Amino acid sequence: MQDDLDDLLALAARRPAMPSGALMERVLADALALQPEAPGFRPAVAPRAGVLARLAAIFGGAPALAGLGTAAVFGLALGYYSPATLDYLMGSSAEAAEFFPDGDFLTAEG
Amino acid sequence: MAFDAQGETSDEALMVLYANGDRHAALALTRRITPRVMAYASRLLSGDRAEAEDVAQETMLRLWRIAPEWRQGESKVTTWAYRVATNLCIDRQRSRGRRRQMALDDAPEVADTALGAEGRLIEAGRMAALEAALAGLPDRQRQAVVLRHLEGMTNPEIAAIMEIGVEAVESLTARGKRALSAILSGRKAALGYEDDADAG
Repeated sequence: MQDDLDDLLALAARRPAMPSGALMERVLADALALQPEAPGFRPAVAPRAGVLARLAAIFGGAPALAGLGTAAVFGLALGYYSPATLDYLMGSSAEAAEFFPDGDFLTAEG
Repeated sequence: MAFDAQGETSDEALMVLYANGDRHAALALTRRITPRVMAYASRLLSGDRAEAEDVAQETMLRLWRIAPEWRQGESKVTTWAYRVATNLCIDRQRSRGRRRQMALDDAPEVADTALGAEGRLIEAGRMAALEAALAGLPDRQRQAVVLRHLEGMTNPEIAAIMEIGVEAVESLTARGKRALSAILSGRKAALGYEDDADAG
């Protein structure tokens, strides 16, 4: 019977129970559902803009803010100094000479 | 890169590729491992096809989950899968509290061969007798015999799967085969072996 048993076992080894197509599909679906994403396929997450960046965007971006800042500083300077300063800066007047008593050097040649 | 079920890429390398998001590796592992686990579970569960499919799917599910932590060189994928399937089959047999005898409805689908109708009937009868005889063995003997003689594993591989020594494997397979011979010897005529001898 030993030889017959060996033959029977060899026959059984050649006739395994085959998985159904449905099982193969379920297993593959599990595999794909649980598979980690490939590093190259991960979409890059855009960094969230900060408060200042969003504020700048409202006014037209960083260049516009720079111009706005310059105008603000200039306005403060005009307010801080006397109206005569404006005359001095824009041209010349007696008040300018009083404000800068030694202002001749500014216009003197040579 | 595409892989097929018989490709040269090792199972262990496919596990790493799978964990890196390679979908071809998922397909290749499914095609390679699932049929083996299915056949093995069916044999341990006495041909209960529905339960064997559940065991196969659960084994593969655990394989996918462990893939990100898989380390090449520590264990063979097939060894790991057979071990998990063995434990799942044992759990199911224990939960049932009895070993189910193979019924005609549970008869597994088997790979088609070129035999005639009469030859297929004889073979089917012999396979059913073998299934029944295997079902009559103690669990550990059945596992060892199935792994050695039906799955074609080496004794060291079986030892790794069953987590026992190689000598214990040899003992289990030898005792299992003796028991199978004893069970089947009373059915030689029914299985057509004496007819074969007469014809020869």
